[in-house]
Amino acid sequence: MATLEILNVTKRFGRKVIAVDDISLEVHDQEFLVLLGPSGCGKTTTMRMVAGLEEVTEGTILIDGVDVTDLPPRKRNISMVFQNYAIWPHMTVFENIAYALRLKHMAKSEIDRIVREVAGMTNIGEYLERLPAQLSGGQQQRVAVARAIAVSPKVFLMDEPLSNLDAKLRVSMRTELKAIHASAKATTVFVTHDQSEAMSIADRIVIMRDGKIIQTGTPEEVYEKSANLFVADFIGTPPTNFFDVTLQKSNGTLHLVNPHFDLSLDAANTARLNGYNKEQLVLGVRPENIVLTSEKDSIMGMTALVVEPQGSHQVIAFKMDEKMVKVVAPSQPKPDMGSTIHLNFSQGTLRFFDPETTFAIGD
Amino acid sequence: MNRKTKKTVYKAVKETIFYLFVTGLIGAMLLPVYFIISLSFLSTREAYRYPLPLVPALQTKFEMTHGERGYLLSVYDRVEKDYQTVLDTSELEKMEVYIKSQLGTSISQEEIQAEMDRLDDSGEDSIFFTKPRNLLYNYDTFFKVTRDAVPALIRSLEIAALTILISITIGGLAGYAFARYIFKGKDALKFSVLFVRMFPGVAIALPMVIILAKANLYDEPLGLSLIYSVGAIGLTIWITASIFMGIPESLEQAAQVFGATKFQAFMRITFPLALPGLAASAMYTFLGAWNETVGAIILTQFKPTFSVVVYQTLLGASGQVNLAAAGGIAMALPAVFFTFFIRRYINQMWGGVTV
Ligand SMILES: Nc1ncnc2c1ncn2[C@@H]1O[C@H](COP(=O)(O)OP(=O)(O)OP(=O)(O)O)[C@@H](O)[C@H]1O
Ligand SMILES: [Mg+2]
Repeated sequence: MATLEILNVTKRFGRKVIAVDDISLEVHDQEFLVLLGPSGCGKTTTMRMVAGLEEVTEGTILIDGVDVTDLPPRKRNISMVFQNYAIWPHMTVFENIAYALRLKHMAKSEIDRIVREVAGMTNIGEYLERLPAQLSGGQQQRVAVARAIAVSPKVFLMDEPLSNLDAKLRVSMRTELKAIHASAKATTVFVTHDQSEAMSIADRIVIMRDGKIIQTGTPEEVYEKSANLFVADFIGTPPTNFFDVTLQKSNGTLHLVNPHFDLSLDAANTARLNGYNKEQLVLGVRPENIVLTSEKDSIMGMTALVVEPQGSHQVIAFKMDEKMVKVVAPSQPKPDMGSTIHLNFSQGTLRFFDPETTFAIGD
Repeated sequence: MNRKTKKTVYKAVKETIFYLFVTGLIGAMLLPVYFIISLSFLSTREAYRYPLPLVPALQTKFEMTHGERGYLLSVYDRVEKDYQTVLDTSELEKMEVYIKSQLGTSISQEEIQAEMDRLDDSGEDSIFFTKPRNLLYNYDTFFKVTRDAVPALIRSLEIAALTILISITIGGLAGYAFARYIFKGKDALKFSVLFVRMFPGVAIALPMVIILAKANLYDEPLGLSLIYSVGAIGLTIWITASIFMGIPESLEQAAQVFGATKFQAFMRITFPLALPGLAASAMYTFLGAWNETVGAIILTQFKPTFSVVVYQTLLGASGQVNLAAAGGIAMALPAVFFTFFIRRYINQMWGGVTV
């Protein structure tokens, strides 16, 4: 298998559009790396540059230490699952998978063996003689995956391969892809704009925005240690709740004050904000880190606007200064809609952001 | 009448009118075709009867009696429903020629002699006999009287094939470029290729004589196919550009990722998928090149195309509409065959393989 390195790569379309802006990242051997970001942030462009389908404006791309920046796609030893699958409509499923192998001048028996093997892995063994038009969307998607793993590539690229599937199939294909990855052990770059998809399959997530990499880390890292307001907002459903607060010091403890609450920080959090000199701060709290408590232990009492039971847990929403704040709580006790709920934050998981730079502080 | 029946009646009337209209339309298109096919099988004599027989006769009925100058031959006339005298002679050859050319009927001098003997031996006033028609007589004659009909036909096929080759190669590649690449002046260029088609062929043909003569291509099939290609390329570009646009670029790119060169990807993926569209534009090109006459008259001298010789024969054969009809059919047949042949590929477009 192989590693993939992207070094200071920039892609410009024409003079004005900068689709990818000086990004660098390394994909480790056998790693499942997810490129995540909102629409138009340059994920596809990055992937296409790795594939050789798009010229690199500046920078270098290395596969296994070899500079492939100027090589045509066929010499890069990669394979790709396209967003629209791009399986060839005039070839049978068998031919679709076998084409790449034929181009490698493999023996007929060998081709036959490999096609049947990957078709088995992707559960399409019974459709080998069909034309793509006679398959469902999910089956076509499997054909695209089978075709891509058949060539045993060094790097395996997938551009939103699940986005055309319905919600249920998407979740089950996710698991299957992960299993296929585990057995094929290919170094993989997977593109998506769906953060929950990214969280559930990635070894590591690279979060992009406006052509730049904002944060790289494991799903836990980007969730718990989001690097800035954008990531904290983008990752997780429901997203992080943000509160604009003022820093106040009294009796040696720090207070985060807001018209609705006055939170006195514990020693650890106080230490985190030691070097921070500004008055204003954005406090980020994940929905599950807002806890329902007794009135005595709470820092605020709010009116529960919506209570959505989800079986294993419930989502409670309340309004603060025209903003919805969401709380994920255990399913019991269940407050009535419109009743007053008493809340506190769990101190171990608070996130602080500089409102001017939007970056996280105190990590 | 209640409202429901009113509605039903209204619907029935509407449908009737619709089908009458459709039938009329089909009739208007097919009747002339039927008429000319039927005419091409009629004998010269029948072709000038009024009203014109709608179906060619399969045999000719004769009556033979003794006449002043020998034997008097009468033919059954399908319009008058009676025998009409056509010839009075004792010369076998004259009778044979008349029966063959005017009546389009197969007969030999021995057969005529046999009938004459039968009349003499029987002692009766008249005898009757029937001979099969030679339905292909007009076609036979057409190819005999038309100077160089077969070489001209081959030449025309050659020109059409060359035109297809040139216009599909150049027009197809240009269409591909229009579909896949963004470049300056693309729209203007795309429009200007159609611009060429707006000029009447004759207007272009005259200056072309000079150019072709200078290029040593005057009166050569290649020269003519080059001229035809000018117009055909424009149409081909438009048809193929929209076909290529309908084939996602990612199909080709996938092939490149999986080990194909750009050329291989085009030949193995895009080309087969574009085949129906290419076939359609090949068909238009063929029909255009095959039927073109005015330009060919101007641009050929000793090596005329089939359309030119048909045209010349028709001019010379004034007074022989059945011969003209046979020429027309002979002209149309290759086009019909080609269309049916290529239809298989065009049908692919609707038959399962969707892009
Ligand atoms: N061929 C092109 N010409 C000009 N601009 C382009 C071209 N391709 C992409 N772009 C621009 O580059 C930016 C990044 O596009 P890209 O397709 O990489 O986004 P993406 O992250 O894949 O988005 P999505 O999630 O919607 O697929 C966009 O602003 C897009 O408009
Ligand atoms: Mg994309």
